[in-house]
Amino acid sequence: MDVAAIQTSKLSKNYGLGRGLFDLDLHVEAQEIFGFLGPNGAGKSTTIRCLMGLIRPTAGSAHVFGLDCIRDYVAVKRKVGYVPGEMPQFGSLRGSEVVAYLGALRGGADLISVRRLAERFNLDLSRRYREYSSGNKQKLAIVLAFMHRPQLLILDEPTHGLDPLNQQEFFGLLSEAREDGATVFLSSHILSEVERMCDRVGIIRSGRLVTIADLDELHAIRFHHVELEFAPGTEVPVNAIRSAAGVEDVVASDHSVKCIVKGSFEPLLDALRGATVTNLVSHEPNLEEIFLEYYRETAPTKAMTP
Amino acid sequence: MAAYLLALRLGRWGIGGFGAVAFLVALVQAAGFYQIAGHTDAERKAFGRSMSLLASQFTVIIAPPIRLDTVGGYVQWRAFGFFAILFAIWALASASGAARGDEERGIVPALLANGLSRPRMIATRVAAFATGSVVAALAAGAGLLVGVASGGETLSTVPVLEAAVALAALGVCCYSLTLLFAQFTSARNSTAFAGVLLLALFLVNSLSRTLDVLVRWRWLSPFHYYEQSSPLAPGGTLDARATLVLLGIAAGSAVLAALAFRYRDVGSPLLTIPTPTRRASYKMSRSPIWRVPVVRDLYERRVSLLVWTAGLSALGAIFVVLTKSIVKPLLAIPELAPYFAIFVNGNIYASFLGFIWFGFAELLMAGFAITQVARWTAEDSDGRLELVLSNPISRARVVIERLIALTLGALLIAAVSGVAVGIEAHYQSIDLNSRRLAEASLLLVPFTLVFGTVGALLASRIPRATVGILGAFAFASYLTVQLGPIFKLPVWAQDVSAFKLYGQPLSTGVDQTGLVVMLVIVIAGLIASAIVIEQRDIGA
Repeated sequence: MDVAAIQTSKLSKNYGLGRGLFDLDLHVEAQEIFGFLGPNGAGKSTTIRCLMGLIRPTAGSAHVFGLDCIRDYVAVKRKVGYVPGEMPQFGSLRGSEVVAYLGALRGGADLISVRRLAERFNLDLSRRYREYSSGNKQKLAIVLAFMHRPQLLILDEPTHGLDPLNQQEFFGLLSEAREDGATVFLSSHILSEVERMCDRVGIIRSGRLVTIADLDELHAIRFHHVELEFAPGTEVPVNAIRSAAGVEDVVASDHSVKCIVKGSFEPLLDALRGATVTNLVSHEPNLEEIFLEYYRETAPTKAMTP
Repeated sequence: MAAYLLALRLGRWGIGGFGAVAFLVALVQAAGFYQIAGHTDAERKAFGRSMSLLASQFTVIIAPPIRLDTVGGYVQWRAFGFFAILFAIWALASASGAARGDEERGIVPALLANGLSRPRMIATRVAAFATGSVVAALAAGAGLLVGVASGGETLSTVPVLEAAVALAALGVCCYSLTLLFAQFTSARNSTAFAGVLLLALFLVNSLSRTLDVLVRWRWLSPFHYYEQSSPLAPGGTLDARATLVLLGIAAGSAVLAALAFRYRDVGSPLLTIPTPTRRASYKMSRSPIWRVPVVRDLYERRVSLLVWTAGLSALGAIFVVLTKSIVKPLLAIPELAPYFAIFVNGNIYASFLGFIWFGFAELLMAGFAITQVARWTAEDSDGRLELVLSNPISRARVVIERLIALTLGALLIAAVSGVAVGIEAHYQSIDLNSRRLAEASLLLVPFTLVFGTVGALLASRIPRATVGILGAFAFASYLTVQLGPIFKLPVWAQDVSAFKLYGQPLSTGVDQTGLVVMLVIVIAGLIASAIVIEQRDIGA
């Protein structure tokens, strides 16, 4: 039987006053990309820091490939590549020196791998660290995490500060890592990001795991706020919109309609056939809105956690 | 008002810390006067004469005193002369932090984004420091009054307030000058360049007392105007004109700093030199230095290590150069014979160097240890330790590597400064026992490690409070030895001080007991640190 890449049991870190992480049970299979989704302060980084053996849980346990994250923390690090939530200061060291320094701590970094990663992200390693923008610091963190081809990547909001092009590059790198057999534990507060990359997603809020969803469930949870404007003098198909599958909370006024679309857009687009739409705006809700919607949906069957 | 309160809040630790130090120093000096100056008029006059002769040897650093037979004159010289340097250092650190450090931390852009104008920001910073400077200067005055009360005497509050005004004016003046100078330098160089400027202004004034060629330039120095006032000594006054000049320089510098700030980019100096473009490189450094534990740590801090080594070596050599010129006149004073009897053992010059130079070197090495410990705690708070520990290395190894790096750094400084002292002693025809000089220099290493391991233990447990507690520990250890005999502190209290454990190796050889105790502290501290850091949450 294969050992789980990550296994936590009742993992808790109580900071008092209701803050921290409580009774987290996670099971991440090897070669899985697992998303860990939650708003700021939900407990994502606390979970990651427990997995990295940086903080000691007040209760429960965490294992990486069967190794205890606290007792065997050195052995755990041999298998892990880590992107921290925030990069520290390295003052006047050059990027090339930071890589050499941390690579040597690990026991030798692969020169070719480093060069390939730096070129891929167009990260000039000859510049001093203090001259790096926040995006470049994040690129360096990615290089440091991937350069030794780890079995498990623990990434704390890895796309923070990256521009869209470099985000694309990062997602490509993540796919390649998975193809090479790596497991990925990716924390984020952006639903579309984890939806795009992950096989399963754990959703955490106020230190407690709300649910673990696969992609289909995630699509069901997901919804969009949509605003439509119609050309003056044309008929607004309000009834067709109201009756379209997945369309809710329809509010019509003059030549505009506001609604919520859950799941696919196709039923809405079918309802609009024949109408002259002059403007269509769709935006993703924030995580808090998704949680409220999730609780509204599941209230009869699930108890609401704090 | 909000910006002013924020500036006060940002500087609250400086105000509290320097205020406390000023209070304590003034208190100790005033109380100490009653312990050593005698009680009758004749005893105090004799004490005043002796100390005046002693003071005449140090006019290169501190202004000549007035009426050292009185507590006011004595504290004006011993405490308020020292406060000029202390307040200048505080102003330097505070102003360069406010001008450029806060830019790097994002505080300045945040304030400007909220509608605060640049001139107003400069004005609020100066006003906040002025407030803090007055508070700290008044704390010094309060310490003096308490010290005088402990001697059963009283002192009018008017001269005490006048002394505080002069001191606060000097502090604000140094602050504004640093603020102005920081507009023209890069953020990381602002403290160093402004420090050189203030040091130059200090030396222009102090050296002008012995070098006539500098007399015509001392009007440039704020320290010259500060010294015009000596309100604590009987017959002395607050020089209102000189104090107004200090405040005028402060106001003028602040206005110029505001103007310069208005025309420069945030994050850049007013004048920049364009750098040539170069091709990007994607290669990792191949230097073998990064592959060797400890060596990579020493290499990373090579500049500061070189500065410490060169600084201690130069100071050691200067002390040797000054030894004969200071000691010879003092030997002619019969009243000082009992004082010399405390530390003279055999060779008078070796004893003097052992007591004065190595006493000062101990203080500097304690400072060196504290700066290294401060770096460890900074690595903890800024996340670097977290990133280091994301690699397969144990926490205990981090502690051990840090202490080995500290040992090698201390060894380098001690060895090179010892050689410098030895060479200069040879040129000055001062006969030093080479073996004892080597022992005295090398003994600075375990002495430094005492503070290093205590710091490592504190950093392993309570990193945020480490530097403050370690600094207080070092200060208390030093005061215990310096003032223990005067205030008749219990012997055991003096014996546990690291400064006492070091002993007088240059004149009496290595104190074996002291060395063993220091090594026990170092080993126990190392083991305890390695155990404690395993139990703690990193970055929490």
